[in-house]
Amino acid sequence: MTTTRMRSASASLLLNLSLVLPLVALSSRFAFAEEASEASPVPAEVRAVIAKRCVDCHGADASEGGVRLDQLDSLSLAARLDLLNRAQDQLFFRLMPPADAEQPESGERAVLAGWIGQTLRQHGASKLDEKLRYPDYGNYVDHQQLFSGEVQQPAFTPARRWLVSPQIFHERVMDVFQLTGRDRDNFESRSFFGVTNPFLLPDQAGVRYYDNSAIDGGHLLVMLNNAQWISRKQLQAALLKTSGPQNGATENPADRWFPKTTPPAFEAIVLSDAPPTDAQLVAAIQTQFGLVLRREATSSEVEKYVALTRQAVGLGGNAEGLRQMLVAVLLESEFLYRLEFGAGEPDEFGRRRLSPREASEAISYALGDRAPDPELVRAAAEGRLQTKDDVRREVERLLKESEYYRGQVDPSLNGMHYQSNQTSHPRLVRFFREFFGYPGSIKVFKDPPRSEGYYANPDRGTLGTPGYLTLEADRIVTLHVEKDEQVFERLLTTDEFFVYHDRDNETGRKIIEEWREVYQRLKGTAWKTDPAQVMAENLEFLKARKATRIVEKSPPGELVNLMYYLEESLGQGRTPFTTVPWAHGYKYHHAPFYGLPPTPSIGRYGDWRTTNYTRKLEPKVFWDYPTEQPFRIAQRKGILTHPAWLIAYSSNFHTDPVRRGRWIREKLLAGRVPDVPITVDAVVPENPHQTFRQRVESATGSQQCWKCHQHMNPLGMAFEMYDDFGRNRQLEPLEHPDNLLQRGDGKTTFDRYKTAPVVTTGALSGTGEASLDGEVADALDLIDRLAKSERVRQSIIRHAFRFFLGRNETLADSQTLIEADRAYVESGGSFRAVVVSLLTSDSFLYRQDLGNRS
Amino acid sequence: MTNRRDFLTAGLLSAGAVALLRSPRAAAADSRPPMRFVFLNRGNGLFPHVLPPPSFDKALAEKERKKEAYEVDLDGHALPEWMSPLEPHKNQLTILQGLSGKMCTYGHHGWCSALGVFKANERLSSIKWATVDFELARLFPAPVPHIELACFPNGGGNARGTLNGIATGFSARGPEQPNFAFGSPRVALEELFKSVSENKTARLDYELGRMLLDFTAGREGGTARQLTGVERAKIQSYADSLEAVREQTRQIEALADNIRRHVPELDPKYLAENVNTLDRQSGHVEVLLGALISGLTNVVSFTVDELGHDYTGIPGIEGEKVNMHDIGHGKAIGGVAAEEVRRRTEHHHMKLMDRIATRLKAVPEGTGTMFDNTLLCYFPNSGETHHAQGIEYPFIVLAGDNAKINLHRRYIRLPGYGQAGHKTLGNWYTTLLNAYGNPIEHYGALDVGLKDLDQRGPIKQFLA
Repeated sequence: MTTTRMRSASASLLLNLSLVLPLVALSSRFAFAEEASEASPVPAEVRAVIAKRCVDCHGADASEGGVRLDQLDSLSLAARLDLLNRAQDQLFFRLMPPADAEQPESGERAVLAGWIGQTLRQHGASKLDEKLRYPDYGNYVDHQQLFSGEVQQPAFTPARRWLVSPQIFHERVMDVFQLTGRDRDNFESRSFFGVTNPFLLPDQAGVRYYDNSAIDGGHLLVMLNNAQWISRKQLQAALLKTSGPQNGATENPADRWFPKTTPPAFEAIVLSDAPPTDAQLVAAIQTQFGLVLRREATSSEVEKYVALTRQAVGLGGNAEGLRQMLVAVLLESEFLYRLEFGAGEPDEFGRRRLSPREASEAISYALGDRAPDPELVRAAAEGRLQTKDDVRREVERLLKESEYYRGQVDPSLNGMHYQSNQTSHPRLVRFFREFFGYPGSIKVFKDPPRSEGYYANPDRGTLGTPGYLTLEADRIVTLHVEKDEQVFERLLTTDEFFVYHDRDNETGRKIIEEWREVYQRLKGTAWKTDPAQVMAENLEFLKARKATRIVEKSPPGELVNLMYYLEESLGQGRTPFTTVPWAHGYKYHHAPFYGLPPTPSIGRYGDWRTTNYTRKLEPKVFWDYPTEQPFRIAQRKGILTHPAWLIAYSSNFHTDPVRRGRWIREKLLAGRVPDVPITVDAVVPENPHQTFRQRVESATGSQQCWKCHQHMNPLGMAFEMYDDFGRNRQLEPLEHPDNLLQRGDGKTTFDRYKTAPVVTTGALSGTGEASLDGEVADALDLIDRLAKSERVRQSIIRHAFRFFLGRNETLADSQTLIEADRAYVESGGSFRAVVVSLLTSDSFLYRQDLGNRS
Repeated sequence: MTNRRDFLTAGLLSAGAVALLRSPRAAAADSRPPMRFVFLNRGNGLFPHVLPPPSFDKALAEKERKKEAYEVDLDGHALPEWMSPLEPHKNQLTILQGLSGKMCTYGHHGWCSALGVFKANERLSSIKWATVDFELARLFPAPVPHIELACFPNGGGNARGTLNGIATGFSARGPEQPNFAFGSPRVALEELFKSVSENKTARLDYELGRMLLDFTAGREGGTARQLTGVERAKIQSYADSLEAVREQTRQIEALADNIRRHVPELDPKYLAENVNTLDRQSGHVEVLLGALISGLTNVVSFTVDELGHDYTGIPGIEGEKVNMHDIGHGKAIGGVAAEEVRRRTEHHHMKLMDRIATRLKAVPEGTGTMFDNTLLCYFPNSGETHHAQGIEYPFIVLAGDNAKINLHRRYIRLPGYGQAGHKTLGNWYTTLLNAYGNPIEHYGALDVGLKDLDQRGPIKQFLA
């Protein structure tokens, strides 16, 4: 291979898939523009700006790029809207007039942009508005203006349908089954046999759950199957009381579960021999609406559903007919959306407050994935969710509530020998893990021999090394979210980490204490030459120390293994890891990715079933395991130096300074970097004599490339102090066949290459503070400066806004953001204070009807 | 998992979804017959060494041993005895060796890996994209765009819990979307041909399903009409999909006479609850043929067996329940050596291939037969052996005359793993997709162990 491609085929395939659906949706939207009446004439003041600033290049004498702006009045509506869309993009992204041309005054720009925007919106045809709804365009709102305090516009969110998240969908299915207590807990971390979650959040780092997705044919396909299964389970308890072919017995022994009871309104129909009465049908319909849509059916809906159910009962009998109604309600698109339209009379700005019921759902889905708890439902029903103070009271109550939303951070990480950690508000942790994007490490496949065999890719039944690393990063985030002090700064700069911490501190301490006792007592015995005798003589002593795992029938080999393990740790003044390497399912090999020594490999002491104690062990330095965690690791600062983050932003074979730099520019510095132009084949050239940094620099150093790369490379290059597995390094192996010094077998020996020193310097720009901007020595220096930056703090606030509001901020949200930032600073860095501030803001509580209302 | 009656509706719906999302290429399809694709995959690996014709000389045998590239015209060579049912189809036959799939999950169970070219590990999150059969189905829409049949595993760590029902299959509709498969010929027959069924319950299911769709389509269409802008878009696609399903239902009803003519008439033994494995496979093939010939679908994937499936009905040891994991570890069953057990099952698979090809050759289509427009593949879903390393995925391909790939009557060994010019499953599927109108640069994940090779793109010499 002569070049290293920076984009994979898989990425482009996913991109293609993700593009198809919005295009289908958009095509129907823009068709409406065609239906509009003919365009109105261009106003005189707009015509004047165009004449003064545009027609020199885009007029009768010259129509650069094939564009003329002097004939707008004579164009058909469709042609005019098309041209205005192009002009709007050029103006908004400041591409026109060209940088070397005389620029329009701000008033002129406002007149032109204002008219273009208004005209396009009038016809529902603004492509820029559409673009600005997507995460990639979040930073296009000017940061300084946003936090300047000058903008006093009243804030609101457009009235909307917001697609439920995968987690909310799962909770809603549990609500349909009315699961509580242990029944509900059982399903918190596992899915229903017959339900496929139709939703999938995009892979991007940053906020993933936006309000701009729509349900489509794919969702319907999944929901058709889901609805059938759910409806059967809803009726199964009642059907079991009947006899006959539909008595609910399942064909599949793996699909035995069903809710213990069928709602009485359904059971009454199922168990009746007579056709259902209207009253019975209405009761059943209202029950299903309550369970599925969490509201009452309107009279018109009742009428339609009664007709459907009657017809279906006529065809299929009571149970099967009723079930059709259950399915139909489950297929209502409303089941898959959160509805936020506001209620009551609009205020002077045309905004409506969320109705109490809408507010209760918005609050609950902001803090967790579940529908409102009973107290919040009561508050909404009793008129105690009307004011900002009411909302504050409920949000603060729910943030103190430790059980209602409790759950694992990400159950999809669970494996046979590891579980995602639990916390009271997993969604708060989820903000940071998505913001940093370190779970992306699971998607990056590596060549394990390059890591000297320590790295394991995800495979059947395991997420491998990146799975462990992601779980360990989650624990750091959880720790600081729970402590809730200087959260942003701590996550950026903490030097304390969790590694292999599979037991709590107290349990770990006891294990080591018992092992120490065993080692002290037996180290002078003949455990190497006569382990059976030693074991027999000390059996009661060993059995009393559970950490030895030795029981009556244990083979002597187990004692030999343990003693070797302790001799190589306690015997040399180090603490061993609290899980022995021959334990079933042992997969702990990733300490080196933190720059720590390894723990012994699984096979180091031979098979515990034998007494293969004559093995000559090559001396090796193992990790001095800290039972008390988190613990300090040198040369690491915060999540950006966590191997999970470093791997997430690496390629199969290399670090990825460009993407690392881009992440910092966009996520921490609220900056913008355009996508790679389609005319550019973004590849890093091969050169056997250069480090990867040098090769990237040679590919991006030209004036044309540097225009964008200057915003990324100087930030990302500072992380060259770590390799693409996250290991600390000072030398980089020049992995090219020409540089091969020694060929390894890939199992016990590994390829060795010539090396070259890594350069870790970089530069910070864009904080707006002269004391912080400038050259940096390495990533640690860079991170220290970032953590002190006001802009970084505000950038994280902006992303939190997007996470809790499900949309990009606009200038009208300026006061909301300033308040949230102030809340963070004045509370000593409490993220919960940010959440309370955002959830009591006008942005969160008000909706404005932009012509989208049903 | 999913009830039988749900599945037909789902199949119908996916047709609608496909119709909505189909590419302009497919939309502009001409009046030529569509291409059909049948993927027969099996578990426990397929040994590469059993595929070369025994008449190959020493020089070829040496190349075979060294996994060096070569091609031989099959004319003049008798096929290995276990492949003898394919002798009548030798002109359309290709034995393709040397494709690797180390980017897949290989070994015991590969799940969607062999069709999707990614590491699939029975976790939904491991499904990265639609498997190649679904990608091909998008190019050749049909009332039921894709049908999956399977002899499910009933043990071995990935048991489906049912042999006769509908459960998670081995194809994927899209990212994190496993497909469902019919486990028994009876269930497949009932569900796929329900619209023309004379069975009262089946007819009722069909009528109720249609009524429900009409109602839901009316509700969502009504909601969409009251909206504008972004909010309308959020409902419109869903409403359109429902309409598309109804349209597809109408299409099926329009095909009713044709479908009725080709409803498979299965011997009762194929419909029994305890049908043995070989009969189950034969029955599935009858359903497959009925679905293809009636025009119900153009793409069928059939998991002929899986490591966790306990085989029954193997000739000579009919009474034994054969654990294929034991066979993988070389255990003799009923006095029959493991490799011989393999041979007998694989011989039956070749009979199935022959049955499909022969039958399709008897159906006139255009100026030729339906087989002219068919591509049939048989391959392992987990690599070259029981504990495979993903080095080889042998393929047996029967391709009709109109198949747009340059194969036929050849034994082809591509350069071995890591050798210059080596090809992967991704290259092979990219070839198929490119040949039939999907211009994808490369389908599938890349092999991180082949960093020194250019792994992307089709196998150019196969593109006609």
